[in-house]
Amino acid sequence: MTAFTRFSDEKITEKGFVFAPDVSAIMDDSLISDPMANPFAGLRKGGLAVVNTTKPQASVLQGRDDVTVVRVDLTGQALRILGKPILSSGIAAAVARISGIKKEALLTALSEELGDIGLGADMVAKNVEFATTIYRELAPLKLNTEEVPTAEELVPLAVVVSDGGIEKVTNTGNSYARHTGNWRTFRPTIDYAKCTNCMICYAYCPESAMSVGEDGRVKIDYDNCKGCMICMTECPLKAVSQSREGGVQ
Amino acid sequence: MKGKLLTGNVAAAAGAMLARVDYVPAYPITPQTEIIETIADWVREGKMDSRFVQLESEHSMLTAAGAASLAGARVFTATSSQGMLYTLEMLYNVSGWRAPMLLANVSRGVAAPIVLEPDHNDVLSARDSGFLQFHSETCQEVTDLVLLAYRVAEDKRVMLPAIVNLDGFYLSFTREPVVLPEQKMVDRFLPPYEPVGPMRATKPVSRGSSVFEGYLYSYFRYNQHGAALKAKEVFNEASREFEGLFGRSYGPVEGYMLDDAEYVLVMSNSFTGLGRQAVKRMREVGVKAGLLKLVMIRPFPTDEIAALLRGRKVVGVFDQNLAPGSGGILYPEIAGALYNRRGRPNAILPVVGALGGKQTTTKELSAVFEEMMAIDREGKTPAPMFLMRKDELSRVKKAISVAEGGS
Repeated sequence: MTAFTRFSDEKITEKGFVFAPDVSAIMDDSLISDPMANPFAGLRKGGLAVVNTTKPQASVLQGRDDVTVVRVDLTGQALRILGKPILSSGIAAAVARISGIKKEALLTALSEELGDIGLGADMVAKNVEFATTIYRELAPLKLNTEEVPTAEELVPLAVVVSDGGIEKVTNTGNSYARHTGNWRTFRPTIDYAKCTNCMICYAYCPESAMSVGEDGRVKIDYDNCKGCMICMTECPLKAVSQSREGGVQ
Repeated sequence: MKGKLLTGNVAAAAGAMLARVDYVPAYPITPQTEIIETIADWVREGKMDSRFVQLESEHSMLTAAGAASLAGARVFTATSSQGMLYTLEMLYNVSGWRAPMLLANVSRGVAAPIVLEPDHNDVLSARDSGFLQFHSETCQEVTDLVLLAYRVAEDKRVMLPAIVNLDGFYLSFTREPVVLPEQKMVDRFLPPYEPVGPMRATKPVSRGSSVFEGYLYSYFRYNQHGAALKAKEVFNEASREFEGLFGRSYGPVEGYMLDDAEYVLVMSNSFTGLGRQAVKRMREVGVKAGLLKLVMIRPFPTDEIAALLRGRKVVGVFDQNLAPGSGGILYPEIAGALYNRRGRPNAILPVVGALGGKQTTTKELSAVFEEMMAIDREGKTPAPMFLMRKDELSRVKKAISVAEGGS
């Protein structure tokens, strides 16, 4: 979990990290198969998960048959209504809807929040429309959870300090091992029939995800391209096109 | 009353606004920056009638704050972590000047290695500086303690600067319902600050002079100590008035499920909420568990601690800080508060945990209660606990192996 909140009719005393959520909101389906992200971690038995995806149910479940997973195409609706893949209002609506929060409460909070950060009335209205659409698309779900028991053993200090604990990493950077291509919402594609190999995309790519192949042509490193689409914006010949990741147009 | 959802940082800024501060010298640092950004916005929008200036360092910031306070301005500023360490030289000066300014510290572990989440080595580095210290558990307490701290600091019996502490992330970026007191009522509670012999360009005065002689120095130092001790009584008076006006009450310490408690955990700041959960869980299985929260760290509320811990079987002191080579910083203070008292607890268990905001489970704190029970049952000498879970240690090993080029 990278962000979390608690809501209750009773006073909340516990703060900080939520180890065992009742509801998980997964904003990007590529996280599901990412062992570092492991977004179902800790989700309680009988818990609810909402996943932003266009993939079939079976591919998002990851063996958790003890939870209810609902799928919703937040990115698609965000692009249609807001014109940008900004998902906050939609995911808030999805979580509110499945966990039984009233629409009025959601929309009031949304208008207040977005007003407070200085969004204009037009954008606030679009976000309200986005949230309302998602809210209507889903239905309240029954939440009846129990914690998945975890082994929580403390280790004594003598074990922690046994190796001296001096930071002794001599290796230089290893971020190349971490592929960031799954961050993409949009996938750039080069039309080699139009491309003159002018290298402007190569120069502008902020992630060094453009390289030159053995044939001397520029090519995209899809393992690391984050889909910012600067290459498409900068290409003087409009030889780069975009498509939504996951096969959705 | 229904509160407005505010982050701890905005709650701190709101406290400064309600206190009608005159001057805010500022310097950014994560996770504090939202406080000064919020104040800067409010000053620009005309919601706050204050002078906001960004200085070039925390050291200069504190110097400006202390000097302005001597000139008669009500001063608010904020810092965190390394920023707090960088103010340190001026903290001792400003408190020696007897300038009652207020510093909000948003706790963050100190480097190296670098971390952003909270522990209390930063604020406890100011432990001996002569600043009063009030530590908050909730966002509501942040606003309220800012107002109370000004009231105490500016009292003529005290005249010392104060720190209000709030944990980074756990309070600074956590939104909770906060009831903001009405300005009219705050004005009644906190009248304008009246300096003693204010510095004026037209009427020069001297502060913080060299005294050279040890007996003169001792005189001023002892008086500073006396004023700090007096601050507890002044806080209690102010707190009673605060409760009358706003309906919320604060003491130097706060007890939770203490009535018949045999095993008591001493905590402070935002992780106290987790301690409350652990106490509830222990109670559910029939253990007489309780919690003592420290609100006031300076002056140290020795008598209140001794009174509330009297007759308990075992007390655990949860230190979210570490003095390498010694252990937790508050443990010896608690032990010192108890040693000469009749009916002191049979044993005190030192616990260090949640360093750098280490994600802590209720079970970890339950394990602390279980250790307290074992100490009582077996009559053994408490061995300090340093909390880390097995699953965390294996993640450490994994991270080190990846960093070394493995997988």
